[in-house]
Amino acid sequence: MDILAREIEAVLYAAARPVSADELVSVCAADADDVAAALEALRGAFASGRHGIELHAVAGGYTFVVACACEAAVEAFAGARRPDELSPALLETLSVVAYLQPATRADVARVRGVSSEWALSALEERGLVRECGRADTPGSPILYGTTDRFLTLFGLCDLGELPPLDGYAPSDSDVEELRARLLANAERRT
Amino acid sequence: MTVAAPQAGELVVDLDVFHGPFDLLISLVLREEIDLWEVSVSRIIGDYVVRLADCGEFDLEATSQFVVLVAALLEMKSRLLLDLEPEDEEQLDAEQAGEELLVALLRYQQFRLAGEALRVRWAEHAGRIYRHAPLPSRFRARVDESRRLPVSLLADALAPLLREPPAPDASHITDVAVSLVAELRRLRTLLRRHGAFSFLAIAPSDRLEKAITFFALLELHNRGEARLDQPRAFADITVTATPSVSLAG
Repeated sequence: MDILAREIEAVLYAAARPVSADELVSVCAADADDVAAALEALRGAFASGRHGIELHAVAGGYTFVVACACEAAVEAFAGARRPDELSPALLETLSVVAYLQPATRADVARVRGVSSEWALSALEERGLVRECGRADTPGSPILYGTTDRFLTLFGLCDLGELPPLDGYAPSDSDVEELRARLLANAERRT
Repeated sequence: MTVAAPQAGELVVDLDVFHGPFDLLISLVLREEIDLWEVSVSRIIGDYVVRLADCGEFDLEATSQFVVLVAALLEMKSRLLLDLEPEDEEQLDAEQAGEELLVALLRYQQFRLAGEALRVRWAEHAGRIYRHAPLPSRFRARVDESRRLPVSLLADALAPLLREPPAPDASHITDVAVSLVAELRRLRTLLRRHGAFSFLAIAPSDRLEKAITFFALLELHNRGEARLDQPRAFADITVTATPSVSLAG
């Protein structure tokens, strides 16, 4: 491994957080292409199955992560615990914030049809969403956005890696079926 | 011997239309079996205050409960006084309402499915273990010895912040030409002469002066000298003298 790849390996080890390619260019005083090539070499060197740690791109940077096969040993040593599961309500709220951000509490409530105050507080406590300013509308409501921890826990390098929302649009036949059910319900009530 | 403060429900009220426990009165008012117009709230409060004075100790919880119930009664009565009409909601026909509901449901379904996709990613990635150890302390702070700041330089930078800034010059700002008292006088004159007028027709064009005219209108309304009619939000306001003003004029 050349000296630049070894320097990057050392920086990533010491940083203990994802380090962006731009930071590596600055810290190692190297060319962007050289850094990219060195990172590629490192990814190969730390490919799955070769070492106890792997090199991943997550939350806008690069960082080492424990290989899946070795997680049990690390958990036994460090007592690491998997984060608590997210309920469907929290996942729905998180998806609204992730796709619409910055989003107000009212924006979330408008999509979900229910008050989301509790859900947003819970997500804030878990470090998945944060306040990122106030809207320039009457009342100046708080705006919410996702955090780097959200990117890390969901294995995303950046928000662009989220699948497009249009991909979840229902098909024409689903729309017609839903329309028919609504009409049937309305007729039953009249 | 001290007597405990009366609980709201224990208070016996003696009114022209009702005699009995206060909480029964509330129940009957809510069921519209007693006309709220006939209920004298001031007498209820008076009776309670007398009972409080006879008690040796002050029970915050009991008194707070009474205050809440009386406030609810007053709010109901004030709504009757203002004769509030239910807000006109935009009338949608059944088909339009159905389509709106369908669009909302489809949008919700999109995000629900997106949430499901996030759940799959969470299952795969949330358990990964990253290193979170902080940097060793000797690497955390780098001091450039060649760029130490002399204390005198820091003091010179702080000194202006400690000085009182000069008062701002407001001589270029013109005084407001309209005062609330003068505006009240003008509106009263208009009511006496014409009996009624339109707010937009008599309000000054300047925003601040228009606001003062509006405050004067509200003051006239509060004093019972004028009635304000506005057919819908942000429409013009018709100001009409009340009969007492018309007769006096």
